[in-house]
Amino acid sequence: MSIRTEKLTHIYMPGTPFAAEALNEVTFEIKKGRVALLIGPSGSGKSTLIQHLNGLLKPTSGQVYFDDQSIQSSKAELLRLRRKIGLVFQMPEEQFFSETVFDEVAFAPRNLGLTDESLAESVYNALNRVGLNAEEFKDRHPFNLSSGQKRLVAIAAVLSIKPEVLILDEPTAGLDPAGRQKLFNLLADLNSNEAITILISTHHFDEVVTLADQVMVLKDGRLVMDGPRDQVFNNREKLESLGLALPSVTELMQDIAAAGFQVKTGIYNLEEARREIGRMKERQF
Amino acid sequence: MVKKPEIIIEAKALEFNYPGDSLNRSSAINGIDMTVNRGEYLAIIGPNGSGKTTLLKLFNALLAPSGGEVLVEGISTVDHEKVPLIRRSCGMIFQNPDNQLVATTVEEDIAFGLENLALPSAEIRQRVTEVAQRLHLDKLLLHPPHLLSGGEKQRVAIAGILAMQPRCILMDEPTAMLDPSGRREVLDTVKALNREEGIAIIHVTHFPEEAAHADRVLVLNQGEVVEDGPAEIILTDLEMLHSYNLQGTAVVELAALLRQDGFNLPTRILHNRELVNSLCQYERKS
Ligand SMILES: Nc1ncnc2c1ncn2[C@@H]1O[C@H](COP(=O)(O)OP(=O)(O)OP(=O)(O)O)[C@@H](O)[C@H]1O
Ligand SMILES: Nc1ncnc2c1ncn2[C@@H]1O[C@H](COP(=O)(O)OP(=O)(O)OP(=O)(O)O)[C@@H](O)[C@H]1O
Ligand SMILES: [Mg+2]
Ligand SMILES: [Mg+2]
Repeated sequence: MSIRTEKLTHIYMPGTPFAAEALNEVTFEIKKGRVALLIGPSGSGKSTLIQHLNGLLKPTSGQVYFDDQSIQSSKAELLRLRRKIGLVFQMPEEQFFSETVFDEVAFAPRNLGLTDESLAESVYNALNRVGLNAEEFKDRHPFNLSSGQKRLVAIAAVLSIKPEVLILDEPTAGLDPAGRQKLFNLLADLNSNEAITILISTHHFDEVVTLADQVMVLKDGRLVMDGPRDQVFNNREKLESLGLALPSVTELMQDIAAAGFQVKTGIYNLEEARREIGRMKERQF
Repeated sequence: MVKKPEIIIEAKALEFNYPGDSLNRSSAINGIDMTVNRGEYLAIIGPNGSGKTTLLKLFNALLAPSGGEVLVEGISTVDHEKVPLIRRSCGMIFQNPDNQLVATTVEEDIAFGLENLALPSAEIRQRVTEVAQRLHLDKLLLHPPHLLSGGEKQRVAIAGILAMQPRCILMDEPTAMLDPSGRREVLDTVKALNREEGIAIIHVTHFPEEAAHADRVLVLNQGEVVEDGPAEIILTDLEMLHSYNLQGTAVVELAALLRQDGFNLPTRILHNRELVNSLCQYERKS
């Protein structure tokens, strides 16, 4: 499914002294099967935007569409769409309500009518896919996990419904390097093999940036940049003026280029950087 | 005579089991002996579930040891009457700021700990104003904390601890929810507090670039301290880091790949500029 918004505006607590316009006429489209990265300074409206995408927040004005179907059209439509949208919140432990990890992950597929064997299978599958050993974790209480383990459970819980769209708010916060890499591999796999549309909002995008087709930048509730990845990250000055940074590898390549070396700088992972510096060595040394 | 460093925190044969630990998994903390000196900046890294948060909670008297003991400035954390004293000298900043924001406005939240110290109100106001400015919270002072963004909340939590002027700050992934400039701001603030005021910092992080701010780095794995040494040695030892499923910074990882490709680079490259400089020298030599 594609995700599209039209002039999405959200004002928190209108008419009070704390009234805050968190989103201001945000319009964008993520095409089916694409991966988009949503970045922006803290307080810029990322989580607010994301909570509109499954109808948790209602816009003050504007629209949200999945495949040209507005989620505001009817309650039934919203429920139908929610079954296809996997959304992981910024603070996943706030959504936990079950006594065991198994029940937490089983909640959504159970609602979809899966029973017994197929239910257990999809729960085990989802847990193993995020790198949690199902046997070891299934009977643990979700609150009694380390913070990284909780986040992995929250991700497993949305994977268990096999969503068509995956929306992740700060999915890497609290994950160790291996966990981040595993999540990256998982998203890459979901995107390339199952054509799942993915929207990731994060301050720590070193790993996931490799997947991104599109990068959107929010600032004070406005979409100030939206374009192909290279185009956005080529504009280091603008990003830095917004209080944002480049992916570490891209920044390193730009530092090397700034020292006078002829290198390509639109580079996002170590292997590409290694090849580019190898080529530079052949040309220049 | 060299002055012996003053110990702020000491763990002796420390063990901790959560209820149910013995059934199918090992202790969360599994025999740790370590000390933290006054004015030290210590980073703790380690995989998910390795015991980092548990260790900080033991230091802060939020958990009582199952075995061994923790001394904070010589006081055992099981000494109930001294717990407020321990918390004042070692303030803790949690991963999720929601768990520690209590008051109805940001201002009251920052002042919360100070009120309990029964300081004169003029002093309280001054300290609150100072830390609020330092962390760019001045405009939010009258806002309700629970309505702030994740990053804003974390800055309020940090401000509340800083206002107490502690001897030591324990930080559990304090930047996990912050944007790059917020991260820099917090790291700079913490570093200045460490360098200028000699406040010891114990900083748990999953990011090697943050651990690189520390003088000393400790690696935790399955409840045990498996490495302990200067940041530039621990964070450039990729073989060791990888063996615990950890990573080096982008520049450390890239330097290692380039060495494999025959680049003759110095062994301890930890910052971008060191790699850039080595490449420049390379160019001059050839
Ligand atoms: N429930 C709420 N009521 C009132 N204002 C809110 C509420 N939630 C968020 N805000 C405000 O709306 C703005 C956008 O917040 P939001 O959480 O969407 O930002 P964000 O980009 O996700 O930030 P972060 O990177 O820190 O998570 C902020 O200024 C915040 O203070
Ligand atoms: N309240 C609890 N009850 C039972 N077990 C717990 C509890 N909290 C943590 N554990 C377990 O204790 C071990 C250590 O957890 P801890 O939270 O200290 O790890 P951590 O190193 O901080 O991990 P992370 O990087 O994910 O935050 C883990 O195996 C975890 O599952
Ligand atoms: Mg957010
Ligand atoms: Mg932890």
